[in-house]
Amino acid sequence: MTGVTTDATSGTGTGSGTGTGTTVQSPLTLVMPVRPEARAALRAEVEQLQALPRDQNPVTTALDAIGTVHFARFVFIDDERLAVITTYDGDFERYIMDFVDHIGPVFDLLLKHMADPPPLPVQQHPEEFLAYVRRHDLGCVGPFYSAYPTRPVIDIRADDAG
Amino acid sequence: MLDLSDVQGLVVRGYTMPTARHLLLRVDSAPAARALLGSLVDGTPGRPQVTTATPWTEKPEACLNVAVTATGLQALGVPSAGFPAEFTAGAVARAALVGDTGPSDPVHWRPAFTDPGFHLLLSLAAVSPAARDRATEAVLAGTAPGLTELDRLDGDLLPGRVDHFGYVDGISQPTVDPAPPPGPPDRLPVQPTGAFLLGHPSQFTGHSYPVPDPPALGRNGSFAAFRVMAQDVAAFCALLAEQAQRTGTSEELVAARLCGRWRSGTPLVLSPDTDARLPPEALNDFDYAGDQRGERCPIGAHVRRMHPRDSPVAGGGGAKHRVVRRGLTYGPPYDPARPDDGPERGVVGLFIGASLRDQFEFLMAEWALDGLFAPGLGRTQDPFLGTGDGTGAGRAFRFRTAAGRAELTDLPRLVTTRGGAYVFLPSVTGIRHLAGT
Repeated sequence: MTGVTTDATSGTGTGSGTGTGTTVQSPLTLVMPVRPEARAALRAEVEQLQALPRDQNPVTTALDAIGTVHFARFVFIDDERLAVITTYDGDFERYIMDFVDHIGPVFDLLLKHMADPPPLPVQQHPEEFLAYVRRHDLGCVGPFYSAYPTRPVIDIRADDAG
Repeated sequence: MLDLSDVQGLVVRGYTMPTARHLLLRVDSAPAARALLGSLVDGTPGRPQVTTATPWTEKPEACLNVAVTATGLQALGVPSAGFPAEFTAGAVARAALVGDTGPSDPVHWRPAFTDPGFHLLLSLAAVSPAARDRATEAVLAGTAPGLTELDRLDGDLLPGRVDHFGYVDGISQPTVDPAPPPGPPDRLPVQPTGAFLLGHPSQFTGHSYPVPDPPALGRNGSFAAFRVMAQDVAAFCALLAEQAQRTGTSEELVAARLCGRWRSGTPLVLSPDTDARLPPEALNDFDYAGDQRGERCPIGAHVRRMHPRDSPVAGGGGAKHRVVRRGLTYGPPYDPARPDDGPERGVVGLFIGASLRDQFEFLMAEWALDGLFAPGLGRTQDPFLGTGDGTGAGRAFRFRTAAGRAELTDLPRLVTTRGGAYVFLPSVTGIRHLAGT
């Protein structure tokens, strides 16, 4: 049996969520310990990066190209740790190569100031980078809340484009 | 610089031969098997030699390529390390990830594929069935005892170079640096050597896939998913007829929307309303820049899912998960007058890359079996490779027309896996290493 429905108005993304939860999005709460002597330098670099215009900020341009990250922010915790807090679509491991392909250099910049960095550059060592992220991801106390649990970035952008 | 004479030919070039035979072998005696492998690369008179990527001066009547499974490496007794986890686990262990569930579950596969004794795969291509037989005899001569044939699978080109669903096949293949283009030149990015051969910069910036140890074995090797996929032609014909009736379009347009190409091979994005019958050099020379919404070619169409080119996709890697496809049809041509005539029909061949995880498995898991990677697809699946499991989105096909969004629902399973294996295609140096010479 086959059938057809035509609907000019409905949105996209019906479905039951990924294997990891009930939302297509997942939280990443990456908290990285900074080398004590590098704290000032790291903060200066992050602030400098974030002060760049949108089209020149390598974080922004990489995330635009990756197309799976909904939100991302840097947070300094007690001056001793840098947190990268994001919400992203899909399976982090499955997309690791595409992710590192775009944003590897940004992480090289950050990780060189960390207390226990993986081998750098991360583009040459994606597996070790993945293991590092796994080790330092605090996740969240579930359930992860999403106002639109079925909507990946790629859909939202397409709908915004009309 | 890549030494083409060290690389197995089928990785970077098509042989354009109309017949193939895949021999699945068990190693009973490691010394005998190693001697066989050695004789295929050392110029032993009368022995077929592994076909390399060196350009031909004269087209041979048959080509030979050699692959080994993870258990095959063990059976040969050659120490190695550093092979990727998915290869070592094998296709049976990874079945669920790539949709080999339900009727495609390994329990239903041809027995050789779940036999732990499937160690070696010898793949022949030949200019005729007679040449294939001669090559088979030559390669198997003197191999017993020591090797046992578990299964053999033949592929034969159908008239018009079509698959059993009637689509002209084999149009789009990557150009792998530094080999010449496999067909007419196109606008697609040339794939770096390391996307298909180990030990060279890959398609990802600043990255090369690790070479398994020892380097003599690993370097210039590739991985492949060897697959046997049965096609349900009667179900496909019924689907076209029913959808054509329900949507008031032609069966050919339904077929074109599902595939992204008209059955002649003409890309829908270049010719969305009728089949313009473009010349061969136009058939792969296109992108989707002018069709981001999928109004010309559905974003969920088979060829656009499997190779989104410049389309926006999750991860931004629309051109970075390509595979080299070396397959041929098996089974007799389908006769609509005898829909249930008995024999199985399908495709048998190899899907090749430097990484099973980032190429074959990524394609299946992310782009064929889910739709979250691209706008508007929801949890839909590839119309041909979908599992047809459950109800709802998994069995739907979405597209856009001038009238708005449309959806075909309750799509049947059209393709069932009959066998799968993960194999390593060593370089000529690698085969010599395995042979111990």
